[in-house]
Amino acid sequence: MTQALNASVDLAVCKGHGRCYMTAPEIFDCDDAGFPLVIGTATTEQQISDLQRAVNNCPEQAVSVSPAG
Amino acid sequence: MTDVKDASSPEIQRDFDIHSPDDVEGVYDTYAAMRSGCPVAHSPRYGGHFVATRYDDIHDVLRNPGTYSSRTINVPDSIGQDGEMIPIQIDPPDHSTYRGIINPLFSPKRMRELEPQIRAIATELLDTMLAEKKVDFVDAFAREFPSQVFLALMGWDLSDAPRLNEWTDTMVLGKPGASEEENEAVREQAGMEVYAYFAQMIDDRMENGGDAEDITQILINSTFEGRELTQFEILNILLLFMIGGLHTVQGQLAHTVIYMAEHPEVRRQLVGDLDLVPTAVEEMLRYESAVCPAREVTEDTVLNGVQLRSGDKILIPFAAANRDPEKFEDPDVVDLTREPNPHLAFGAGNHRCVGSHLARLELRVAFEEIHKRMPDYRLDPADPPVRHLSQVKGVVSLPLIIGESL
Repeated sequence: MTQALNASVDLAVCKGHGRCYMTAPEIFDCDDAGFPLVIGTATTEQQISDLQRAVNNCPEQAVSVSPAG
Repeated sequence: MTDVKDASSPEIQRDFDIHSPDDVEGVYDTYAAMRSGCPVAHSPRYGGHFVATRYDDIHDVLRNPGTYSSRTINVPDSIGQDGEMIPIQIDPPDHSTYRGIINPLFSPKRMRELEPQIRAIATELLDTMLAEKKVDFVDAFAREFPSQVFLALMGWDLSDAPRLNEWTDTMVLGKPGASEEENEAVREQAGMEVYAYFAQMIDDRMENGGDAEDITQILINSTFEGRELTQFEILNILLLFMIGGLHTVQGQLAHTVIYMAEHPEVRRQLVGDLDLVPTAVEEMLRYESAVCPAREVTEDTVLNGVQLRSGDKILIPFAAANRDPEKFEDPDVVDLTREPNPHLAFGAGNHRCVGSHLARLELRVAFEEIHKRMPDYRLDPADPPVRHLSQVKGVVSLPLIIGESL
């Protein structure tokens, strides 16, 4: 069983590139100005893998994860 | 520290000219040589400036606007604008206020609503282009597509595209090979014409009123800390949209088509699985990053062992960052599924390209429509494409044979 993950975005660092909500649409959505909103926890393998990709693709290194639960 | 180098250190001197018409084909080799020999180099061109070529250094510069101001983003420092382009040449705190107005104009949600309109523009251009067997892809598609999208977003007449393209070309490229004085003169002339055109568009709208929801109207209705935007501000916002939105996408599309024409195995992979388009867009943005902005140093600082002083200029080619082998495995290889790919094609930090969501949508739609309808194409061996350098690398002409493959 893979460990479920919570996502968080450091909005002081985030500049609204949008890579996270493009990469992991089940975990992130965006607000009207293009900044991300965390909308879910990564529980399935696909979601966890998408979330890891979102962390690694962020050009600002603004996305981090922590174990859920 | 005794080993800090500075602008006069002989070992960091490189005769790098970002506007040279001769260096375009070898520019990635040039960046690689600088990156491994002197990652913060100094060039005597345009009054002297530094050039950074490592991803981490460029990333640091982008994310420290207090030390690296974007009040100077061009080398030489004018492309014919009158005043600062807004908001890219504005520092915090005003920068954030302007971005608050402009970010929503190009938000992913607003862009998504525009997708059908953008796809219709692409489809119509392809209808015309695909009636021919031999075309110039820049004329037939790459230049027209972003210009028509820009005009549609503004609510202006699509038939003005050729004028906009000519002004943009002149302001971005100047007159290649001409003297600095001559370049300055042609750019200023183009700048004056483009301001006059924008002013006319704003005046027309003011006179006729409007309940349109296009960008022209939204800017007219916008306020900066409680007051209306001045015409001067709107003009310098529009100028940035034009400079930032046309040539860049044009170049990206043309560079991509050149690559795909030359690498049929990669093209077939894309044609065979259009679900790859989103990561393919990111990879081509990394592989051919058009933009090479400058920054002006505001306080003495040391970057990767090189002393920079207040007032110095530094070029930060995103193309150099995005080919850094410390950051990207096999950086000179295109991998349509590359993971991870935290490229800096749109910059980073406060001045992250405000049009990036629009650019991605344009590129995604174009990659899809082109490869759906034109699975085979090749370069014309008798008439190779012509690329140009400058601070927005691009393609002047791209003769293409449709329906054939290497």
